[in-house]
Amino acid sequence: MWGFASPKRLRELGIVGMNKRNVFYIAQHNPRHLYPTVDDKLQTKDLCRGHDIAVPKLLGVCKIQQHVKGIVEFLEPYDQFVIKPAKGSGGKGILVISGRDGDAFLKPSGQPVSHEELQRHVSNILSGLFSLGGKPDNAIIEDMVQFTDDFKGFSYEGVPDIRVILFKGYPVMAMTRLSTHASDGKANLHQGAVGVGLSIKTGKAVSAVQHDAPIEKHPDTGRILTELEIPGWEEILVLASRAYEVSGLGYLGVDVVLDRRYGPLLLELNARPGLAIQMANQAGLEPRLSWVVEQEKEMKGSVISAKEKVLLAMAAFA
Amino acid sequence: MSSVRQIQFLVVLLVSLGISAVSYKHLVLGFPLISNDKETVWNIEAKITFDAIAPDVKLILNLPDSNPDRKVLFSEVLSPGYEFEVIDQSGLRYGMWSAQNVVGQQTIYIRSQTYFAGGESQATSTNQQLISLAWKGGALKAAEELLASIKGQAIDANDRILAIGHALNRVSDENATTLLKEYSQEKGRHWVLAQLLTLDGFDARLAQGVLLEDKRRKQNIHHFIEVNDGIDWMLFDAREVEFVSWSRAILMQRGDEPLLDVFGGENSKISFSTLKEQRAAFTTALASAQRDSNPLVDFSIYSLPIAEQNTFKLLLLIPLGALVVVILRNLVGIRTSGTFMPVLIALSFLQTSLLLGLALFILVVGVGLILRSYLTRLNLLLVPRIASVLVFVIIIYAAIGILSFKMGWDWGLKVTFFPMIILSWTIERMSILWDEDGGHEVLIQGSGSLLTASIAYLLMSNEIIADTIFLFPELLLILLAIIIAIGSYSGYRLSDLRRFESMERL
Repeated sequence: MWGFASPKRLRELGIVGMNKRNVFYIAQHNPRHLYPTVDDKLQTKDLCRGHDIAVPKLLGVCKIQQHVKGIVEFLEPYDQFVIKPAKGSGGKGILVISGRDGDAFLKPSGQPVSHEELQRHVSNILSGLFSLGGKPDNAIIEDMVQFTDDFKGFSYEGVPDIRVILFKGYPVMAMTRLSTHASDGKANLHQGAVGVGLSIKTGKAVSAVQHDAPIEKHPDTGRILTELEIPGWEEILVLASRAYEVSGLGYLGVDVVLDRRYGPLLLELNARPGLAIQMANQAGLEPRLSWVVEQEKEMKGSVISAKEKVLLAMAAFA
Repeated sequence: MSSVRQIQFLVVLLVSLGISAVSYKHLVLGFPLISNDKETVWNIEAKITFDAIAPDVKLILNLPDSNPDRKVLFSEVLSPGYEFEVIDQSGLRYGMWSAQNVVGQQTIYIRSQTYFAGGESQATSTNQQLISLAWKGGALKAAEELLASIKGQAIDANDRILAIGHALNRVSDENATTLLKEYSQEKGRHWVLAQLLTLDGFDARLAQGVLLEDKRRKQNIHHFIEVNDGIDWMLFDAREVEFVSWSRAILMQRGDEPLLDVFGGENSKISFSTLKEQRAAFTTALASAQRDSNPLVDFSIYSLPIAEQNTFKLLLLIPLGALVVVILRNLVGIRTSGTFMPVLIALSFLQTSLLLGLALFILVVGVGLILRSYLTRLNLLLVPRIASVLVFVIIIYAAIGILSFKMGWDWGLKVTFFPMIILSWTIERMSILWDEDGGHEVLIQGSGSLLTASIAYLLMSNEIIADTIFLFPELLLILLAIIIAIGSYSGYRLSDLRRFESMERL
């Protein structure tokens, strides 16, 4: 009716709305003082490395404007790297360099970037151009992820990543975000990237959405999206699950990328993960979150490892 | 206590506190629940002028007798250089001014706003200062003849009084002419009539005061006769030959009390201007509670000077705007640019009116975004960038103001009511939003903000709502309870229902 779902039906499906997410899951399970560790990618990286969680290799950090001049010299040994703001949001301010052409750096699209342009980009990051609220920021230089071929034909340009929602360390729902022409190569659902729900049990695609509406084929490549299957699924979930121990955040979004050389790498953490994942999976989060609560009750406070949690979740969820 | 219990407890506590305060004020103090009723308030200005002839000057003015039905909303004495005090002497109230070293013509103003609570009110008259019969000989004979000529015509006391008044006014009547021969003045005419009434067996006395008529300027003190018709004291006007309602007059002097005494001055004169005003009934309820020194009123916004009260009247509306933001964001799910920016925009709309405000807002932000898009290319640091936008905004203000004025539309000048810092931030945020999420998102958030601001404006500009909140600031507690309750609402937003619509078919 008039393009609105009935609240009764959504409750039956166990769909979590914005208010429920904010009041119950975020406010009650994510202590405020832990936010900086996930909002600052540098802190996240440090924390993960301390716990032996695989992350893209950190090449360097630029913290003050005076160091911007020396950055080209610093980058001398590297051909492929990514420069990004530590507190950036929505993928803004990320510069990917995949090669060199004489003096210039090259973006993956082949577009050259001069030394001056690169320096200005770093300077902009430091002055807070891309950070939340325009606060001064640090620029992270890290190794460029070399993507596996698993997403070939499923993504148009850009960087596919895997988003896993953890509740108290149990993976409850997952999806992969595939960039499209409309999303300008960004894996951002708001900008028209495709969200593909992944089965927690198998890592196989369940269903897909673009702009909140179900779709079957990738709009640019035409691949049937449900044919997608993520290899090494259990390993990915275990990696994601360990982020709970590291961050202490009960309700957490973990972004994982698959590197050809190193396997799954943890890219970033999100203390306020979005709800679109429910549409990508065509399922509500509520029953799965309640399952975790029941599970925790049964455990009576005994602690189990990330791997055990993943196995329990894989057995419980579709 | 769990947070849910605490919230429930708090909400119940706030609502019951609010409701009990409102009911107390309504039931006990007589505040009207909806201040839609109008009441008549009289603005009275008394002007005293005199020439100072001695360096030390003293004035004594007989002040209006206290009448429980007459309430004073506001009163001030403008007499620079004078010391003023009110003397209460055995039930009589005097105002006394004194000053040293004054020269030339002096002017003193007294302004007051007053209203009558009981409508048809009754003066609490005593039997003091009654007039006594002074006539002898020929005058007495003429008076008796005049009274005899109307004997038997009138049935009740009121008609009799009116008949005597008319008889005295009859120019052809020989007796009347005899009696009035030496008393052509207003005061004398009243004295003669008072004598006649006394002779006829009524209790009567002379009084002076202000007759309340709309838009009267520089009227002299009015003469009245107070006469007892056997049941009530009535106020009678001898010139117009009519009874005057107690709520149409303020008596300042009775019998032979002096009205105005000036020591060290001459040519003293007192004149009055009166103006009728229709006001929301609550102002009058307020004033009465204030006079009774009720603590709930005494320690409230109403104890502030009028100018500050107006500021608070505006401030009290802001929570209403905040409630609209809370409802639209958390129950409806509308996205706005900046959380409370719409409330501030709504406040500006109060000054500019809605449609003009919307047009000006869109104009300023639109032009601002165009100018701001150039700054993007310069890659400026944040604070200088926003400062530049602020300068743009002020230039846009000036341009709109001057252009519209030159073209003969003064509405453009109202652009200055918009808070420019807020507009600068709005432009900055929208510009970033445009870069990051595209023009579509700017449109969504921009129209969301304007919709929120418009709804907040419609609520805040409603006089009944504004007056009611001003009258019962306790309602803010209930408002707070609603906001807290919404804060713990975990159900779906309208936007969730829209967003997840495709899942209904599952």
